[in-house]
Amino acid sequence: MTAPGARRLRGRLFHLAVLVPTLLGLAVLLALIFDVLTDTVSWQVVEPRGSGVSFSFWEGISLAGSWERVARLELAARGESAVAIDELLSDPEERRKFAARNRVELMWSVDGRPLRWVVSTTRDRLVADFSLARGLRERSTHRASLESGEHLYLNPWLDASFFTRRASRSPAMAGLAPALVGSLWLIVLVILIAVPLGVAAAVYLEEYSQESRLTRLLEVNLRNLAGVPSIVYGLLGLSVFVRFMRLGPVILSAALTLSLLVVPVVIIASREAIRAVPSTLRQAAYGLGATRSQVTFGVVLPAARSGIVTGVILAVARALGETAPLLLLGAAVFVPGLPKGPLSEYTVLPLQIYSWVGENKPEFAHAASAGIVVMLAVLVLFYGVAFRLRRVFGRQA
Amino acid sequence: MSGALPEDHVTVRTQKVPPADAVVEIDSFGLWYGSFKALDNVSLTVPRHQVTALIGASGCGKSTLLRSINRMNDLVEGVRTEGRVRYEGEELYGAGVDPVEVRRRVGMVFQKPNPFPKSIYDNVAFGPRLAGRRGGLDGVVERALRDAALWDEVKGKLDGSAFGLSGGQQQRLCIARALATEPQVLLMDEPTSALDPIATDRIERLIGELTGRYTVLIVTHNMQQAGRVSDRTAFMHLGRLVEEGPTDQMFTAPKHELTERYVSGRFG
Repeated sequence: MTAPGARRLRGRLFHLAVLVPTLLGLAVLLALIFDVLTDTVSWQVVEPRGSGVSFSFWEGISLAGSWERVARLELAARGESAVAIDELLSDPEERRKFAARNRVELMWSVDGRPLRWVVSTTRDRLVADFSLARGLRERSTHRASLESGEHLYLNPWLDASFFTRRASRSPAMAGLAPALVGSLWLIVLVILIAVPLGVAAAVYLEEYSQESRLTRLLEVNLRNLAGVPSIVYGLLGLSVFVRFMRLGPVILSAALTLSLLVVPVVIIASREAIRAVPSTLRQAAYGLGATRSQVTFGVVLPAARSGIVTGVILAVARALGETAPLLLLGAAVFVPGLPKGPLSEYTVLPLQIYSWVGENKPEFAHAASAGIVVMLAVLVLFYGVAFRLRRVFGRQA
Repeated sequence: MSGALPEDHVTVRTQKVPPADAVVEIDSFGLWYGSFKALDNVSLTVPRHQVTALIGASGCGKSTLLRSINRMNDLVEGVRTEGRVRYEGEELYGAGVDPVEVRRRVGMVFQKPNPFPKSIYDNVAFGPRLAGRRGGLDGVVERALRDAALWDEVKGKLDGSAFGLSGGQQQRLCIARALATEPQVLLMDEPTSALDPIATDRIERLIGELTGRYTVLIVTHNMQQAGRVSDRTAFMHLGRLVEEGPTDQMFTAPKHELTERYVSGRFG
């Protein structure tokens, strides 16, 4: 017999042994998120090539839209006449050109004054770029050492226009739009290809197939396929879809490759969900004179749908985050326009982030951080939707 | 277990059912699960608009016999049968008979309430829809729910989930679901074994109400229940039918020694 005191002590030790790793993991995760978030903001010492004038928050707010209002203020500050400004902004071509070279931004701080509108141009000269923390520590030093014509901005990289800007060689002008559209296309295609395939295979294996050597072989290999490194799928996709089928480096070949990658995951999740449907439900349906297909599609699949949907969302989230196979498939790193359809060249979120990290201008790292935040937000959204759907379907059941 | 039957045992029958009353006629029926013989030379006639109870110890084959009547055993791999089952004079195990058709004409209620994860209405309408019925379902659903003595409790929430009902209500819903296909025969496999005494009483009264229009065959572990609800009782032992006859005589004056020992509670 162990004394109660010793037993209680041992219990407490076990408690700690499982609690500490949990807290440690949580701490690492929080540190990571904090690091990424602070990296999306940076101090910059800039010598502007535009007017060099900044406008207060309220000056830039207008019914016609802040972009319009700030552009007018900026052009006026550059010495354009009111007539010339009207002409420039009413001509769509001129307007597009202006927008491509000038970025209207709400800086969090300009030379110590909070929230001011600035129009940066591609020709601005960046004197220094440093982190939020360092800037906070040495702010007064930096402000004192500004030369004439230089300004100190606190630049939030993750602003509204980040989602609509396109690819650019200039970090300030680069945006996430092509990657967002590319990822959206990719996900839609992967869902259209992988879900019917995966669910059908799961239904066959669970409800139709007889126990045989072939099904046992399939079963073992499904688990293996789900664990194959994604780069191997990339090689397969490159030789089959891009080269042999001559699709080229387009969204469709990426979607086909990633579908292959996630189909085993969809099959496994769907099989688990189908297997979890109580056999008494099948019996009830058979007892009423249902055929096998009526049992499968009228009873089993509806009862399994929350599990299937969850599995699909997790699989799609995986497809969304895949980078390696797409590199092999020849996804573009620099896509000037937006992809127009399944046969367009493309880039996707993780690839865009990867390419920004590798750029030689260090400010691209801030764009990469902003991209990571967007991607994490999309993934959280996915899991949130999966969670909700589970609840909604669960309540019906 | 005590007392094996001799090889040449002949089922003891008291007050045979007249052939004119027969709905289901089981004739020298045998069934194997793989190499295990679960039913051996069973012959039983089920009379119209009466309740017949199948009793016997666990594993005696009473559920298997019940499932033979709507060919549910066909779903189990490796099942073989011999002998004949006739339903309203038609062979159920003849060549070219579709088990699905058989199941549409015989209703079945299971041990545990097993409503579908659908609305109450869709549960009851499931059978008629399988048979291809589209219009006039409202009437069918209402009639089935009234027959199952559930209408008054659910008429305001037909679109609600069947899982919102109590266990007893769910079982009556399952009975309504079986009745909606308008079967001649209702097979009940220990329908109250998962229910509390009050819900059990409700189902037993319902079975009494059903006998006017339906023929009921019920498997039960509970001998008091068999005594309360059934007109005739059949006692099975190790895959064979030992004795069958009117319930009161089976319980008060059993003819076979095994029956006597079972109904008096000395084994089983």
